[in-house]
Amino acid sequence: MSQPLSFNRRKALGILGAGSAGALLAACSPSQQADQGNSGGNSTGGSGDKVTISFRLWDDQVQKAYQKAFTEFTKQNPDIEVKTNLVPWANYWTQLPVDVGSGAIDDLFWTNSSNFQQYADAGKISDVNSLLGSIDDAWVKPVVDQYTYKDKLWGIPQIADANGIFYNKSIISDVDPKIISRIGKLKWRPGAGSGDNLLSTLKMLTVDKNGKAATDAGFDGKNIKTYGYNAAYDLQAIYFPFIGSNGGRWQQGNGSNKFVFGSDPKTVQAFEYIVDLINKYHVAPSAADTNDNGDFSLNQFLQGHMAIFQSGTYNLANISDGAKFDWAIARNPAGTAGSFGVASGVVVAASAATKNTDAVKKLLRFLGSADGNKFIGESGSALPAVSTAQSSWVDFWKAKNIDVQAFVDAANGDTIPAPLGTGGSASSDAYDPILKEIFLGRTPVKSGLAQAEAKANAAIGH
Amino acid sequence: MATNPYRPLSRGPVRRIGSTVLIYAVLIFGAVIILTPFLLSFMTGLKSPVQFSNTSSLSLPSPITWANFQELFGPDHNFISPIAVTVQMTVVILVVQLSCSILAAYAFARLSFPGRDIIFWAYLATMMIPAVTTIVPLYGMFTAAGLRNTFWALVLPTLFGSPYAIFLLREYFRGVPDDLEAAARIDGCGTLRVLWYVVIPYSRPIIATLTVITVVSHWNNFLWPRVITSGPDWAVLTVATADLQSQYNGNWTLVMAATTLALLPLIVIYLIFQRQIVNSISIGGFK
Amino acid sequence: MTNARGRALRRTAVGYGLLAPSMIGIGLFLIIPVLVAIAVSFDSWNIISPPKWLGPQNYISVLTDPDVWHSFLVTAQYTLLVIPTQTILGLGLAVLLSKRLPGTPVFRVIFALPWICAPLTLGIVWKWVFAPTGGLLNAIIGTRVEWLTDFSLALPAVSFVSVWTQTGYVALFYLAGLSGVPKDIQDAARVDGAGEVGVFWRITMPLLRPTTFFVLATSIISSFQVFDTVYAMTGGGPGAPGRTDVIAHRIYSLAFEQLDLGKASALSVILMIGLIVLTVLQQVYFRRRITYDVAN
Repeated sequence: MSQPLSFNRRKALGILGAGSAGALLAACSPSQQADQGNSGGNSTGGSGDKVTISFRLWDDQVQKAYQKAFTEFTKQNPDIEVKTNLVPWANYWTQLPVDVGSGAIDDLFWTNSSNFQQYADAGKISDVNSLLGSIDDAWVKPVVDQYTYKDKLWGIPQIADANGIFYNKSIISDVDPKIISRIGKLKWRPGAGSGDNLLSTLKMLTVDKNGKAATDAGFDGKNIKTYGYNAAYDLQAIYFPFIGSNGGRWQQGNGSNKFVFGSDPKTVQAFEYIVDLINKYHVAPSAADTNDNGDFSLNQFLQGHMAIFQSGTYNLANISDGAKFDWAIARNPAGTAGSFGVASGVVVAASAATKNTDAVKKLLRFLGSADGNKFIGESGSALPAVSTAQSSWVDFWKAKNIDVQAFVDAANGDTIPAPLGTGGSASSDAYDPILKEIFLGRTPVKSGLAQAEAKANAAIGH
Repeated sequence: MATNPYRPLSRGPVRRIGSTVLIYAVLIFGAVIILTPFLLSFMTGLKSPVQFSNTSSLSLPSPITWANFQELFGPDHNFISPIAVTVQMTVVILVVQLSCSILAAYAFARLSFPGRDIIFWAYLATMMIPAVTTIVPLYGMFTAAGLRNTFWALVLPTLFGSPYAIFLLREYFRGVPDDLEAAARIDGCGTLRVLWYVVIPYSRPIIATLTVITVVSHWNNFLWPRVITSGPDWAVLTVATADLQSQYNGNWTLVMAATTLALLPLIVIYLIFQRQIVNSISIGGFK
Repeated sequence: MTNARGRALRRTAVGYGLLAPSMIGIGLFLIIPVLVAIAVSFDSWNIISPPKWLGPQNYISVLTDPDVWHSFLVTAQYTLLVIPTQTILGLGLAVLLSKRLPGTPVFRVIFALPWICAPLTLGIVWKWVFAPTGGLLNAIIGTRVEWLTDFSLALPAVSFVSVWTQTGYVALFYLAGLSGVPKDIQDAARVDGAGEVGVFWRITMPLLRPTTFFVLATSIISSFQVFDTVYAMTGGGPGAPGRTDVIAHRIYSLAFEQLDLGKASALSVILMIGLIVLTVLQQVYFRRRITYDVAN
């Protein structure tokens, strides 16, 4: 044990030491580009030389589409090069404020509606009106409205999400082929009152382990084999469309972010309906399965254990790749106010710290045009937010024999605005645990929403 | 496995076999509980994404596919780079940090000078600093120094010694026999030569243990590399694995393949050093 | 006289010379950031805009927030569930492995697997095991239990995973401690007629006290900072306030989700002070009881 190191080992240690010293001096990354452009940093402003603009986004599929678009852009503007910087979704909203705050931010970056206001307030992004002088009519209106704040537009619309339902044709025709024709015309009414055909349809489609449908006596709601529907604590797919289609509101609107979801009776009705589908009628999975697992319903649908999966354009690729059965797309069930989607788009915002304002303006003009935006549609990855570029997306899916017209209709139909925020998740951290309890059926809907609203408003100082 | 000559006679061979069986039963039961989640994640890495979403997470992969591993090294993810960056980062931190820790531990254990104990307790107190406390200030310092998204940023914060390693090394160094060191001193060895020829050879087991602990903790480190690097250039394995997930796609089969891949080198390192580890940790009284 | 002073001076110089690298590192990358964090804890700062001086308001609002106290309570409950369990299991495992039966090396590698693997992904795999529909655990017991959304089961489930992860690590230290226990003392006790149990409690355990102190001190520190497992398994839920909403999760959420760096810093300064006090108390308690000094 105590004998000195043998020669060999000492030599090995020395080599290891020397190696590490060498690595310190010249550590190399195989993926480092030859041009040494640091992704994420401010690009160097060049006078007469080539200018490089960096562009931050979170979606790797859309990134590929952008790369094609930027090649085209550089062809038209040989002195400007654009580099994409992918910061994945899981980390995007943690990293963005840190980088914006320290100034180490890309010239352009994607943002969503709950995060842009704080950057506008802090003067960290430039508004479109003063950058380009005008708003393009071709930009999808709900998205423009969503990002209009203090009478200015804070980003160029790039992606418009649209809502709809995916339905498993084979499950439904096994139950009763006549139901298929009803799918696009489903209606819901508060308390499943007169005019409601959603609940009765879902009851027919939900089957327990013993083969009994939810309409049968002795139906075992605790052991379901085939779920009718994915009613769940899911903002974009479920409860926002239900709130909108009942004429309810989430926030006050008209420039105020104050939450009203607990005091607006129509919003409360929408929640009561969804929670009843889960806990009273058992036509949807238990919230214990879905609250913390956003993939549960998608996987049940793909496994053929769910008849109707309400979602949006964002799951189209997942379903197209994964579904091994006959399926189709239809509009969301209509409430008293009609069939609603969520106006939730993605825009590209311009950092106020950019040193290449002229190049940035050129690129923004390109990205806001049908010519620039169509690359996203052609890749099939997302629905373009420039309406004149949307046909490229429809064509992509038509080539795959998938009819996406319901989504296009939804994108141009009625929408409820996605949540607006002044940054951070203080308010959602306040209401989120209470809403989860409501969906689990442990907290009454009405009093729970009132309590959640009060806490959320307190968190944002209202 | 020498039998104990003083074992009381009443403990007959039957009883001993019984207790051996019991020991194996307990160890095997524990091993099953340990291994099951690993099998689950390894299995998932061998499934295609469609198979994963279309069947129960418990079902066996059929057919087994290596496509996830291939995809990790394909052009989209290029895991060669994160592996190379992680290896470089871990090796540099291991060698430099361990060296600095050994120097400090020797001073604490075997030299007496004014201020020694106060500094030692100050070092120990820094072990109580929650990592979340320092991350934002550190980010600010590195950004101000222009070191964001560089190799330096990955290694510098933990390069110059770890209080935890210093503590364990100090306890071990205190057990180095005095006459061993005195003999070397009489032969004219200075402090560094004493360290190199006496203390370090004597302390090989603890150094092996700390090697494993240091490699494991930096190989798995996530929060700091996540914050201080961006883009593919300096992404380490943990960050690259997390980045496999997108907003609407968990890509679980890829993530589990990457997890399996990241674990293999650590198992190898553990196997190499495990013989040394047991006799390594000597924790004495606190004075 | 001058010679002795000269030697003392030299020793001091050598001592500080050896400490220099680590003092620079710890000073620059631990002490200064902590001082910055303390400064920030008196500010209002959302990262994006420059910090604004606020005074002690962050401390007041953190300490008067019942949810924060709830988080401290949850963390204490978690610590009480995890520390005794993993210490006893780790000790037991070390005793079994120290028998050096055939196959022991294989078991040693297996029991090391959880702590050498990245904790975040393990949390996700355990979430599959605990899933109410299609989860492994419910498939084994044959009935539907909603582990991670049940008020009384969520924290034990998370604690179980922590114990699962760390028992092998604790065993590593006890294994080393056991190998340092002099055989002759144990044998002498057996000659005096002590049974195996008696030898273990009266001879081995007291000799392992320094190891126990080290294991307890470091694992209590890390259990008060537990984050990854909770983040991956429950996200702090279920319920409001969350039944697994530990203090480190609250700090993370304040800092990186709610972008309230001032409050996050104030809370982490409080946590740090609490941990220092706790460790000093432990040290005082153990110092009185460490009768043998294994190393020396």
